[in-house]
Formats: sequence, structure tokens, C-alpha cells
Amino acid sequence: MTVALGLDVGSTTCKVVAVDAEGTKVASRLEPAQPRLEEQAARMLADVCAEVDGNGEAPVVATGYGRRLARAAHRQVTEITCHARGVFRALGHGGTLVDIGGQDAKAIRIGDDGRPVDFAMNDKCAAGTGRFLEHTAARLGVEVPDLGDRAVGAAAEEPITSTCTVFAESEIISLIAKGADVDAIIRGLHRSLVGRIVAMARSVGVAPPVILSGGVALNGGVRAMMSEATGHPVVLPPDPQLMGAYGAALIAAETV
Amino acid sequence: MHRVVAAIAATQTNLRPAAFFDENGSGMSVTAQLPNRREILTEVRRSGYRPVAVLPYHYPRALLRAHGFHPVELWGPPDVPRDEGSRHFQPYTCDIVVRATSFLLRGGLDGVDALLVPHTCDALQGMGSVVGDFGPVAPPVLTLYLPRGERPADREFLVAELRRLAAALEEIGGRTPSVVDWDEAFGAEDAADRALAGLYDRRAGLAATDREFYTVVRAREYLTAEAFSALAGSVPEGEPPGGVPVMLSGIVPEPMTLFDHLAKMGARVVADDLACGGRRRYDPPAGGDPFERTADRILSGPPDPTRGAPIAARAARLVEQMEKTGARGLLIYDVKFCEPELFDVPLLRSRLVEEGFGVLHVEVEMGTELPQQTLTRIEAFVETLQ
Amino acid sequence: MSLGARLRHLAAYRLAGRAALALNRRREERAADRRPVDPTRALTPPLRSSARMRQMMSEHYLEGRHASGVRPVAWVTSGAPAEILKALDFFIIYPENHAALCGARRHAQALCEAAEDAGYSRDICSYARTDIGTALTGNTPVGRLPPPDLLLCCTNICQTVLYWYRVLADHYGCPLVLVDTPFQYRETPLEHEVAYVRRQLEEIVPVAEKVAGRRFSEERFTEVVAEAKAASELWLEILERARHRPAPLTAFDAFTHLGPIVDMRGDAETTGYYRSMLAEIDRRIADGVGAVREERHRVLWDNLPIWYRIGSLSRWLAERGVNVVASTYTHAWGELAPLMDPSDTFGSMARVYMHPILNRSAGQKLDAMRRMVGEFEADGVILHSDRSCKPYSLGQIDQRDGLVNQVGVPALLLDADHNDPRAYAEEQAAGRLEAFVEMMAR
Repeated sequence: MTVALGLDVGSTTCKVVAVDAEGTKVASRLEPAQPRLEEQAARMLADVCAEVDGNGEAPVVATGYGRRLARAAHRQVTEITCHARGVFRALGHGGTLVDIGGQDAKAIRIGDDGRPVDFAMNDKCAAGTGRFLEHTAARLGVEVPDLGDRAVGAAAEEPITSTCTVFAESEIISLIAKGADVDAIIRGLHRSLVGRIVAMARSVGVAPPVILSGGVALNGGVRAMMSEATGHPVVLPPDPQLMGAYGAALIAAETV
Repeated sequence: MHRVVAAIAATQTNLRPAAFFDENGSGMSVTAQLPNRREILTEVRRSGYRPVAVLPYHYPRALLRAHGFHPVELWGPPDVPRDEGSRHFQPYTCDIVVRATSFLLRGGLDGVDALLVPHTCDALQGMGSVVGDFGPVAPPVLTLYLPRGERPADREFLVAELRRLAAALEEIGGRTPSVVDWDEAFGAEDAADRALAGLYDRRAGLAATDREFYTVVRAREYLTAEAFSALAGSVPEGEPPGGVPVMLSGIVPEPMTLFDHLAKMGARVVADDLACGGRRRYDPPAGGDPFERTADRILSGPPDPTRGAPIAARAARLVEQMEKTGARGLLIYDVKFCEPELFDVPLLRSRLVEEGFGVLHVEVEMGTELPQQTLTRIEAFVETLQ
Repeated sequence: MSLGARLRHLAAYRLAGRAALALNRRREERAADRRPVDPTRALTPPLRSSARMRQMMSEHYLEGRHASGVRPVAWVTSGAPAEILKALDFFIIYPENHAALCGARRHAQALCEAAEDAGYSRDICSYARTDIGTALTGNTPVGRLPPPDLLLCCTNICQTVLYWYRVLADHYGCPLVLVDTPFQYRETPLEHEVAYVRRQLEEIVPVAEKVAGRRFSEERFTEVVAEAKAASELWLEILERARHRPAPLTAFDAFTHLGPIVDMRGDAETTGYYRSMLAEIDRRIADGVGAVREERHRVLWDNLPIWYRIGSLSRWLAERGVNVVASTYTHAWGELAPLMDPSDTFGSMARVYMHPILNRSAGQKLDAMRRMVGEFEADGVILHSDRSCKPYSLGQIDQRDGLVNQVGVPALLLDADHNDPRAYAEEQAAGRLEAFVEMMAR
């Protein structure tokens, strides 16, 4: 089978997607990122190739922050372009894509032709990224996958004013000391994260619908609050974590 | 000043055009070829001139020269840590001020006869004020208030302010310029201004990478006028490397590896509105009272937020430059915390987008390398322009 | 000027609005008179004058809602020579004061976010972001701000105002008049600096006349300057009363009573207001009443207030026996008074408007603080390191060192922002303030 491969080397996970000549996803892999990224990427690519009977000469496009480490790649393209391409193909329409990864968050306005019209990314601090929730979840002794449900189910909300991860932590400590409800704190944290991200999305102009991708897209609390804050429906592509790799594979199929 | 040039020419053979660019016009490792600031200081002093460290970015070059001073500009430097400077300035102070203070406190420019801090913005106002009043650095601190308009009152003030600066220079240097000194100084500095403007006019026909081109442009920050004119004249003609044409705005392109990254991403810089570059394309007047002439030179620069130009005038100039050079997008590359830049960004962006240009704004903390994230943003921007 | 606008102005502001506000003030005053003294509270009851101040400020913004088409409207910076515009009967809006009001009423963050959504960086002044937020959304706690017919920007407080007013000029498409005031690195202004400012002041007149559609009257101008001088002198007297032990007012009171001297300087009503406030303060002194019930430590404040924490910070400090008796900031509107000369209006104004503390060097500011520590017998200094106000804040590290090492008082650098609560870390601040109070107690 003629396939093309996309590799997304992120800060927390490494992803590979294979597409056929029509651009349909035929195989994929998702693993936590390992220290030896280069070896991991090569192994995952070989795995997927074997699964789809690729002849080993399949074109590869790499994206993500570790894209330069992928020696096997024929070309590197940024995650902005890849995410836009992947999401547009998966959903068949444009909108405002908000991708919240472990280390960065980005908002991309996707035009009617599937190309990114404008984009914004968080600055280097962790506020507004998955790390913000991860870090504060650890402080509260809550598992990351449970965060969303607890935020949605909370009866009250404790406002967290700091968007800075370090300052937010000290706010949480004092809230706990005052005996605040943990779920209410979690809900406040989600509100703070969403506030920061929506501000970033507004800087590129929010065109509906809002599309969520990245690991944090799986968090129901973020989805609900995002919709509330933007006043637009929030849609998820299938496999939101694979959109970067999928877009990379599509580009590989077209251009390499 | 010819003595300086002779001295430099004698010791710095690498300033000869042939040594800077090789014969077939492909550039060489330029940073290794030019003398550094410290070497220039030594040469300037040996030739009887007094080095003066100057902060960004409008100041009277010919006036300094006529009084026997040679300016060496400080834009950071980016590789000096903030440590010493941060004992005087808060974390929300721009890198140019904090790192320059660090640099001075580390003795980076020991041996300069004065420090000139133009009143460019609130941060440099703070620096001039703090180093002047609390004296953490040794040399006398000179200031220059730059008026924020181009009205007759502004010109009249600037002329008087330049006279005040001249009196301070006379006091330090003990030299009152003669008519011959003024003529000599204007001759050399105006020629260097023309050489800089010429570089920009000839950009499309120069066989230089962006890194090389901006190394030459930025040599104006410390070389003598003659050495700079010679260097600018030595850039070989030919086809510059290809790429998506972009315009660069902002303060200073540090680290200079930015240009290497841009080249790798497939972009080339065809025009700029940089404080250390295009914003100093002066149109110096010929003749007249030396102080009026000096004031008119500074006032002749293109629209500039630090000189109070309306945002619409800035936008119009950017559009004109981008249309003229075929630039498809504008990369606004700012030093973090730069208020004069930050206020203009939203309106500039909307005007340029209306005209069909792409715009990307990035803020950088000065350092020796660019963060991966910033590079990704720039690369994605270049992708959208392709 | 349309008839409709005039009628609305007459009905909504002159008749109904002012009457309602007057009624409200009397109600507040009666309530204050009846309120029993609560000896458990660390702060004594607020000044009775507060009711009148609130009435004046409300009236001012109420008139603003209906000013368009009735009076020419100017937006000016806090350090601008508004007397010239006042003499031409401009209705004057001070965006900085409006932003502070938004900050004190906790509206600032949402407005800042609106500006940020439009691309204005979080690193620019939070006053500017607040007002740009209002310009972009129309949202304001005062109902409506009348758009400017003229912008007057004076750089004697910062260069930021010029960047900001360039944005406003672009947004509203009205003329922007600049008064550029050379920064005073030295003690005394130089002749060419005075001449420059004077010429610019004189050049305001023809532009403002054109916008206002009326002739400038020297006579009226002299009256306004004399009135502004009288009000500023009273304001300075009020502030100086805090030298008494216990101090009859706190700097936090001064922050909140700053509105009229900033916004309505030059009006006879403002002079009358400060006269009655001074009388009230003198009664407090006669009765031996301090603003803080148990004044154990007296503190000098440097820089702008933290508007969104004025009340809580004031109580927090009072509970620990701390009275912030003076601030360099509130003095800025008082210490200029002696320089004003109604017989040489433009000449004296040129000097006055170059003289605010924000337009003088870091060393001169340390000298001013040193002097104030002596005059107010302060036991310590809080230097608000205000992320949003670089010209006020840059230099504070050396100033703090000077206060500690030369003057010998504890001094705290308190990180915050005057209008953006997101830049204030409550817990960190509390810890540092606690330690600072302990140091004074030693």
C-alpha cells in the first residue's frame, strides 16, 4: 500500500500516523515521550510501516517541538501548519483551533481553505498549558484524568486570580489552609486556565466553531468552560491528540 | 578623524573590502573578520580621540566627532547576564538597560570617557537617572532629551539641547571645535549616513546573506565613519540568496543567529524598520549652523514611535516599504517590555493585514540563542507566507 | 450643539441627576452622623467629607454622560495643563482617574482583558489597558464616557501617555496636542527647557480655541489658575496635617480624596470642598482623633496606590497599628502650588508642569523621600514596585538602599501593579508586609 507518515514529537507524547493515498488514517501510535526521542521516533515509524506493509520508502514529515531530532523525516513542518491541516481534513471545516499540549498552548484560526490565517502561542511560562493543571493536581492529590469530572461536578467555585503556576500554587495552599473545598478549587483552576487560553484565542479572533485538540481536549471541564467563555460550540476531532501527526502525514502525502 | 582610520587600516587589515567578502562574492564568516568594540576603543584612544559609550538610538554623531569623541553603542550586549544590572533595576525592566548596566559594572567599557544616555524611553530615562544619581558606573553620564514632535518648538529645543550637550563635551574633552573640525566631522559622518542609506537602496543587488548584510549595517554602531563607509562600499554586487521576502521591525535583531534561522526557514529580509537599522536612515541636510544641521539630521529620520510619530504615519511607511521591496509579511521582533513598540503593535497589525500582509509579533529576552518556541512561531509564520 | 443634547444635559444632569446626588449625599452624611463609634475597629470612621467627594465625582461623571454636543470634551493626562482648557469651558475627562476608578471598583481586570484580546500586551501600563478596554467595548462603571474632541497629552509623568494617546488619537480621530516636558535630571530647569514648555503651552490655545469654537480669555484663564493654585495649596495643607500624632488621615484617605484635585482643579467648588475637608481634619486634630485608632508605626508610601486593594491593605495595616501617613504620589498635586503665579500664568506653568516628582531624577526622588521621612516622622517606607509604572519604579532599588543605609529606616519593596490584580500575589505580599511591620517594631 502507498502510505505517507506523519510524526509528531511533543514534549509529553510522541505520535505517528500513517495515511493512504486518499488521506485516510490507516494506522497510528501514541506513546509517552522517552528521553531518547530519536530512537523512539525511529522505532515507532518502523512499527507503523510494518503494520501497513509500507515499503520503507514512505515519505515522512515531522512536526512538534522535537521535529529536528527525527532524522528519518524528509521534511519538517511546524505544528501550527500540521494541526490546521489535520483538523481541517478531519472535520471538513475551519474555525478556531485551540490546541493545549503539555508544554504549550496555541490558538490557530483556520480559514475556509484549511490554511492557518493567524495564530498565537503562549509565552514561555507554563500558565495556560496542560502543565498548569498537572502541577496543581499533584498539589491537591488528584489524578489528572479525574480533574475534568471533578471540576464539572463541583458545587462551588473558588476563584484563582493568579495565572502564574507558581503564584497559583501559593493561592491553593492558602485556600486549603482556609478549609476550601478541593473540588471548588479545581473548578477555579479550570476557570483560570480557560480564561488565559480564551484570551490568547481572542487575539487571533475567534471564528466559530471552537475546535479543541491536544491532550487537554479530553478534559470535560475545559470543554464546557471554553464553550461558556467564547459563546461558541466546542467540537472535538476524532483522536484529538493525533491531529498534529495526522496533518504531518497529509502534508507528506501531498508534497514529498 | 582620518588618523583613526589610518590606524585602523594599519592594524585591522581585515577591514579591507577584499578580506571581508571573498572574490566570488560569497560571504565569509563576517563576525570573525570585523574588529570588536574593545579593539576599536583601543585604536580610537591611540589616535587621540575619546571613546564614549552610547545607549540607543538617536544621537548626534558629527557633534561628538567635532568635539573629539568617538561613539561606541551599547545594545545589551545580549551575552552579558542580567545579574549586576538587576541589583538596580526590577525584573520588568528591558534587557537593553539591565544588561548594559551589567556590562558597565563588569568593567566592560572601562576606559570610556563618558556615557551618553539619550532619553529614548522611560527605561532609558530610568537608566540615565539611576547611573547618573547613584553612580554605580565610573564615567560621567551625559543625557540628551529628544523631543517627541517635529514642530518648530521641538526643533528649537533640540538645537538648544544639543548646545548644552556640546558644552558638557567641551568640559570633559577640553576641545572647542573649529569650523574646520565641524566641516571634517560632517563630511565623514554624512558620508557614512549616505553609505548606510545606499546599502538599503542596493539591497536587492548585493550578494550578501541577511546575516552578512546586518553585520555590516550594525558595524555603524561602533566603527569610525570612514571604516564604515569603506565596509559598506565593499559589499559585492550580485544576487542575494532567495527566500520568501519579509520585512523586519523592532529594536535590535539579537541574537544575530536569527538571520541564519530565517534563511534556513526559507525567508529573506528585504526591508527593515529596526531601531538599529532602518529607523536611522537619516537624510542629513547640507550646510548651515552646525547645531541646526545636527538637529535636522535627527528629525529627518523615518516615522518612529520614540519620536512621537502618529501610528498611521508608521503604518503608511511600512506599507510603502513592503510594497516597494515585495515583502509579503512583517516580523515585529521586540525586546521584552518595550513599551514604545508594544503600544503600536495592534494598530500596525490591523492596517497591514487590511493591506494583505501577514504580521507576526514576537518578544524576545536577549540571549545567545533563541528559544525553540519563538523559532517555531517564526517558522510557522514563514510557512503561512509561502 | 444640538437642541436634543442640550435638553438631555439639562434634564438628566442639571435637574434630575444633581438633585438625586445631593439627596444621596445628605443621606450618607446623616448615616455617618448616626453611626455609633465602634472601638473594635482599627480604623476610625471615614471622613464625613467623603460623602461630598463622592457626590462631586458622581456629578462629574454624570455630566460626562451627557456632555457630548453640549460642551467641547477633552481627554487629558493627569499632569496636563488643564487650566487652559478649563478657561475655554471644556468638559475634561482624565482617563487615568477613570481607570483608577475602574480599578477601585474591580472593573479594571475585565477591561484590561478586553484590551489584551485586541492585542495590547500585558506588559503595558494597566491604566492604558483599562481605558483602551473601555474605548473598545464602551464598558465603564460610570455609564458612558464622552468621546474626546481634543486630546491633551503631557509627558511629565511618563512617555507611556504619549504612546497611549497616539492610540486614542487613532481610535477617535481627533487632534492630539502634545506638551513635551524635558525630564529633569538636574535640580533646576534650564532656560531652554522652560522656553520649550512655555511655547508649547501657548500653542495649545489656538488648537483648543478652534475645537471649542470660542475665544480664549486671559482674564478667565488667570481666574482658573488662581483657583487651581488655591485648591492645590489647600490640598497640600491637608496632607501636611498628617504630621500630627496621631495623624488625622492616612495616605489611603488621600488617595481616595485625590479625585477633585486631579479632575476639577480650577473650579471654585473644588476649592470649597478642600476648605471644608481641611476644617474637618482640624476638628479631628483638636479632638485628638487619629485615623488609625492605635497608631504605633508611621509609614511613608512611594508610588501609585494599589487601587484594587486600598480598603483591605489600609485595614490590614491599621490592625497592626500602622498608619501610612503620607505618600510621594498624593504630594505631587500639592507641592506644585507654590510655583504657580497668576501674574505670570504661562511662565510659571511652564515650570510647574516640569516639576512633578515623576519628571525628576531618581536621586531627587530619594531626597524627597528622605525629607518626608523626617517631616512626617515616619518609621518606615513602603515602596510599591509598580510593574505598570516604569518611570515611578525604576530607581526604587537604589532608593530603598539609600533609605535603609543613609536614613536608617526599614524600607520594603512591595511588588504589585496599580490596576491589574493579576500581578499581585496576596500571600507573598502579606508575608513581606508582616516582616516589614516586625522590623519597625524592633
